[in-house]
Amino acid sequence: MHKCNCEQPLVPIMVEVIDIKEETPDVKSFFVKNIDSNGVPFNIEPGKLAMVSHVPVGEGMFSCTWQEGDEYLQFAIKNVGLLTGELHQIEVGQKLGVRGPYGNGFPVQDCKGKNMLFIGGGIGLAPLRSFIKYCFKNRADYGKIDILYGSRSYADLCFKEELFELWLQEKDTRVHVTIDNPEEGWGGHVGFVPAYLEEINPATENTIAVVCGPPIMIKFVLQALEKMGFSDEQVITTLEMRMKCGIGKCGRCNIGSEYVCLDGPVYYLNQLKQLPPEW
Amino acid sequence: MKILSKTRLENVFNKLNETAEVFVPMQRGEQSGFYPWQTFAAGSDKLWLEALNVYLPPKNVVFPQTERMYNIKQEGQDVKIDETYEDSKSRVIFGARACDVKGITCMDDVFLTRGYEDSFYKARRQATTIIANACYAPGIACFCSAMGVKYVDPEGADIIIRDIGDGYVWETITEKGEMLTARIADLLEEREVTLPEPKPFQQDVNYDGVAEKLKGMFEHPLWDKLSQTCQNCGICTYVCPSCYCFDIQVKMYGNEGYRFRCWDSCMYEEYTREAGGGNPRPASKERFRNRFLHKLEFFKERYGHPLCTGCGRCTVVCPAGISIVKIIDAVKEADTDA
Ligand code: SF4
Ligand code: SF4
Ligand code: FES
Repeated sequence: MHKCNCEQPLVPIMVEVIDIKEETPDVKSFFVKNIDSNGVPFNIEPGKLAMVSHVPVGEGMFSCTWQEGDEYLQFAIKNVGLLTGELHQIEVGQKLGVRGPYGNGFPVQDCKGKNMLFIGGGIGLAPLRSFIKYCFKNRADYGKIDILYGSRSYADLCFKEELFELWLQEKDTRVHVTIDNPEEGWGGHVGFVPAYLEEINPATENTIAVVCGPPIMIKFVLQALEKMGFSDEQVITTLEMRMKCGIGKCGRCNIGSEYVCLDGPVYYLNQLKQLPPEW
Repeated sequence: MKILSKTRLENVFNKLNETAEVFVPMQRGEQSGFYPWQTFAAGSDKLWLEALNVYLPPKNVVFPQTERMYNIKQEGQDVKIDETYEDSKSRVIFGARACDVKGITCMDDVFLTRGYEDSFYKARRQATTIIANACYAPGIACFCSAMGVKYVDPEGADIIIRDIGDGYVWETITEKGEMLTARIADLLEEREVTLPEPKPFQQDVNYDGVAEKLKGMFEHPLWDKLSQTCQNCGICTYVCPSCYCFDIQVKMYGNEGYRFRCWDSCMYEEYTREAGGGNPRPASKERFRNRFLHKLEFFKERYGHPLCTGCGRCTVVCPAGISIVKIIDAVKEADTDA
């Protein structure tokens, strides 16, 4: 059952937290559902945003990590500040507010028939995961899938069950995981994401790269992709900006005349390059 | 022609005040702005319809400086939003100048178009009737016509009044205006008058081509120079009739409270600071550049006209002597071949 808040776009719909999962020491997934247990408040396509409100504390904009039909909306949230710190304290049963969905989302239709290269760092895998899971759900629509993901340490890798088990079982799929520094018990790759990307040296042909992670990683990944021959039309990224309204009114998420909350947050690199360099 | 004699102004305010909150330009101590007629204190306040621009524009009537959005109640893990505050009380803005009316129509573009309607703004806006006071003698800081504002025939008003010395010509424009006129019809008289000749502007501002030229000037060195003295105090955004950026905050008293929004300023460092600490506009220069590009370029790209209505207020109040007029000139003169 969908409750729309289009009449009052700034007023959240109340939902209940039905499950909380600790992904890493500082990332938790929150699973929310309508209070009457009857479905989710709204449908949200991969890459779109929702304002999650711990109502007495504050609101923050998050990319939805996954919508499981009428079962739940999932948000993987890293503890970085006041609101997220409070969110990390809550327990199952807590009522939260949500409003959305906001933004354009990933171009899932555009990418049909392409090989997909997902490149993520740290919490950046959370937005990508909605697209990755969408590809697996519609597996026949996409070609080969490569997932390259890195984090500081083994403990800091999000979604381990999927990385080391579930996604490996998918057809034509390779998962490349790396951590920044060597660690006891870790037999996998060590090093930063951009360097590992160059080692893997993925084929550019008919491939779309989707990049999400800390700004410094994005910067070097974009350089590496360019060096490997990816054109700007083959590269997609999703931006993070401070947001308050989510509906293109409050003014703060602009880059030039674009409002990232409304017109973004997902851009092809050629689109981004036409904007003032404030991203 | 319908004429409102100045001797009957107060009768009109009193009459309108029976069914609406009436905001009129007044001087109040060191301040001036549009204040509710019912708060008028004959001894200390001065009715100031002749002022070209009172210090504060009437934007707070449709977009208050702080506005409660909804109430919050929490009980353990239960949280309820139990009342929202869309405010549709009738209001009248009496005597706004063309630039200030334009400021409100700029906000209409923002809050009522492009995908979402802001329900809080919409409620207030629909319940507000605007009576504009046409200008015939632009002031020393005015440059509205350069920004596309029709100072003699203000656009967006429900009623236009025109000063003829002992009274005002009363011209009803919209249906909302007719409803208001009907309420005070017996206070108007009928007579023929000749309207004054509009006087020319006292400063020459040329905005033609500026938005287009700015497109290639994001990285131009002129921003370093122009922004040098800006103190990021934000007063320019506070007095501006078209600045609309806002913040959303929460206030809790124990288990009860409310969420509200309030004016914000793009000149402040926290405005774009992210929860993780990053900031795309960390220094004064970037914020300064964004403000003036928003006014002169970005808004025009998005909505078809600039976000400066040429009221001149920011040029008068800035403690650092920064003036959007000088910025327009500097852009016009800037060398962009480099
Ligand atoms: S009023 Fe002047 S000093 Fe203050 S923020 Fe505006 S431009 Fe800067
Ligand atoms: S930018 Fe300055 S001159 Fe332009 S409308 Fe705002 S206050 Fe008036
Ligand atoms: S978050 Fe308010 S305009 Fe984008």
